[in-house]
Amino acid sequence: MPAKKIDKQDIFPKGSGKTYGLLELVDGESRIASKEPEDTVFCFPHLLTPIMMCTLVTTIVLVLVSLFFNAPLEEIANPVRPPNPAKAPWYFLGLQEMVSYDAFVGGVLFPVLFVLGLMAIPYLDRNPLGVGVWFSKTRPIAIKLFTIFVIINLVLIIIGTFLRGPNWAIYWPWEDQGGGH
Amino acid sequence: MENKNKFDLRETLSYFAFEVPVKLYRSIIRHGYPDSEKNKSLLIFTNFFLHILPVKVRKHTVKVRYSYCMGGITLLLFIILTITGGLLMFYYVPSTEKAYQNMKDLEFAVSFGVFLRNMHRWGAHGMVATVFLHMCRVFYTGAYKPPREFNWVIGVILLVSTLFLSFTGYLLPWDQLAFWAITVGATIASYAPMGDLQRFVLLGGNTVDQGALIRFYVAHVFLLPLVTTLLIGVHLWRVRKDGGMSGPPL
Repeated sequence: MPAKKIDKQDIFPKGSGKTYGLLELVDGESRIASKEPEDTVFCFPHLLTPIMMCTLVTTIVLVLVSLFFNAPLEEIANPVRPPNPAKAPWYFLGLQEMVSYDAFVGGVLFPVLFVLGLMAIPYLDRNPLGVGVWFSKTRPIAIKLFTIFVIINLVLIIIGTFLRGPNWAIYWPWEDQGGGH
Repeated sequence: MENKNKFDLRETLSYFAFEVPVKLYRSIIRHGYPDSEKNKSLLIFTNFFLHILPVKVRKHTVKVRYSYCMGGITLLLFIILTITGGLLMFYYVPSTEKAYQNMKDLEFAVSFGVFLRNMHRWGAHGMVATVFLHMCRVFYTGAYKPPREFNWVIGVILLVSTLFLSFTGYLLPWDQLAFWAITVGATIASYAPMGDLQRFVLLGGNTVDQGALIRFYVAHVFLLPLVTTLLIGVHLWRVRKDGGMSGPPL
């Protein structure tokens, strides 16, 4: 509101017999009448600013990484000279690690169960509590089970990536592991 | 009376110098400076690229420490990968004779060729990582619970398609790393029921050769991006329809 000096007499005239009066003047952009209490903000700028910041930071990080680290490129493909060990991309090394124990169980059964199990989570978990909160204490079992799943995957990938050398035997990272990774 | 049709140089110049830019701007951006509620709203829903967003969101949504922007970063990386991938296609021929030489050309002959390939390679690794972290975030915040159950399922499919996008791209440089990684991967596929048939369909032959390279190429630059783009659209659309980003009940 413009800072216009308002005489109190104008708002509450004396002896007019009025039963109503203006109570307060507040700053605001729109009418508050018949609006429920809300906890929302405008996307512009409150959401667009973090989105732009995130876009900038991610792009800058990727550009810097790409400037200082070169993507690997080895000798031309040679079907008669397999490296030992031949390794899949890192995100499939957990899979390759499981395959080394049992081809069918590790390479087919478990991955299929993993994917189907992930898809089934919302239909198996009947506890409606804990939405919108990190590590809600109302769902301890679900959080433990999922954490075990994540850790198993990470451990398998780490073993496959860093601890497997020639003939898929255990080698320490400081030993010569051969292969291409 | 002055003739209205008389050519006035000063008036004409002033028109092109001052009025045309304003008219041009207003024909593109159809709202005023976003300092009022009306213009802040118009900014969002008169913009094609922003119309997926609501005009207002819960305060909870804008907290970075809730989502850590993992889904958004995944989308951004996918866009960067689409752009760098499109540029790489100018320099790449999916032939066992030429593919590796194209890689060497990118390294030594093409301006910023190494940088382009690095962006694509590291961006792809990054996307696999962020899509996984996004899944962890959604799980640990219970965001898959009703009404968002099916969007979680779509998310799992997107995770798998991201892995396949990365896997198919892995073969394209046609170096030792690519060749033997895909040989290992295809061997894993052959352990499934009717595995030899699956491997044959995947590779377009019994070994990793020209048939496999062209199949992986088409899957990598056309089929999988198409499916992924479509599913990302559905994924984001469902986020909107299910009430925006998940949060604690009001």
